Amino acid sequence: MEHELWITAPFNRFLSAPANAFLNMVGVRAEDPTHPWANWLAIEIVVVLLTIVLFAFLRSRLSVDRPSKLQHCFELTYEFLRAQAEEVVGHGSRRYLAYFGTVFFFVLFMNLIGIIPTLESPTMFLEVPCGLAVATFIYYNATGLKANGAFGYIKQFLGPMLWLAPVMLPIEIVSHFARPLSLTIRLYANMFAGEQVTNTFLTLVPYFIPSLFMALHVFVSFLQAYIFALLAMIYVGTAVAHEH
Amino acid sequence: MKNKLAILGTGLVAMASPMFAQGNAASGTPDYRLPAAYIAMGIASGLCGLGQAKAVASSAEAMARNPGATAAIRFALILGLVLIESLALYTLVITFVAK
Repeated sequence: MEHELWITAPFNRFLSAPANAFLNMVGVRAEDPTHPWANWLAIEIVVVLLTIVLFAFLRSRLSVDRPSKLQHCFELTYEFLRAQAEEVVGHGSRRYLAYFGTVFFFVLFMNLIGIIPTLESPTMFLEVPCGLAVATFIYYNATGLKANGAFGYIKQFLGPMLWLAPVMLPIEIVSHFARPLSLTIRLYANMFAGEQVTNTFLTLVPYFIPSLFMALHVFVSFLQAYIFALLAMIYVGTAVAHEH
Repeated sequence: MKNKLAILGTGLVAMASPMFAQGNAASGTPDYRLPAAYIAMGIASGLCGLGQAKAVASSAEAMARNPGATAAIRFALILGLVLIESLALYTLVITFVAK
């Protein structure tokens, strides 16, 4: 594998045996058995741990009469996501809000951790957005099946009128499979291109200009996290829509 | 004007022959993958720019006509811009795959 970061080194030193055992269990052999952990996987786990610590810290500081600044910040974000979900999904949005919020914060923190100089965004590697997109695909299909029943959900694929079904079904199936593909590539390409552009300008003008591109990368990180969550909401919204 | 553009276009294309002086993929045939990737990316970015310009122009006009609906129009604008952007990014990914 390519150059190992300082943050992957503890994973490879202490946890390489469980990683190799797990890979053997699924029949895959690591390219370099002394370094089975990929950079993106180690940073992903670090992001999860940091998110848990952050939210635990927030939870301990929650107060009704004297909210802290952190609480204000998260209240704003929660209200924004809740209003957006209600607008897109309709009146049953409360139970899906957990997934949307999780995806939003996870993608946001993973994107942002790449700004720190010696770390890189896990979303820059194709595996991570692919995993998130597959999870979203499974989630919206599962919610659609649960809300409409199996037969009711399949009926959505058949189009507005029954005699159109042989035409509509392949179109719907292809467009449904295009959704995780587009989610993956959108997130991956935005993050990867942002890093490449910053690196290119670092080789050209090493002084002030790359920081402008890092600022652009921050903006794009927020936007892409929001768009991922929004598209997840739209897919869940169309899946659980009841034909009245 | 059209005559000048035709001459300019022909001159540019004629000057572009050094781009075939890269490594050969198969023996004898020139390797078109890299120039094709560059041209594809140029076309994708150009058309994406046109599409996004149209989206921004119509949303700016709508916000000027109806300032009360600014939030809804801005939401549609951001969503539309990101979806159009992703079309150009698909081409970028193919550029890396085709290397």
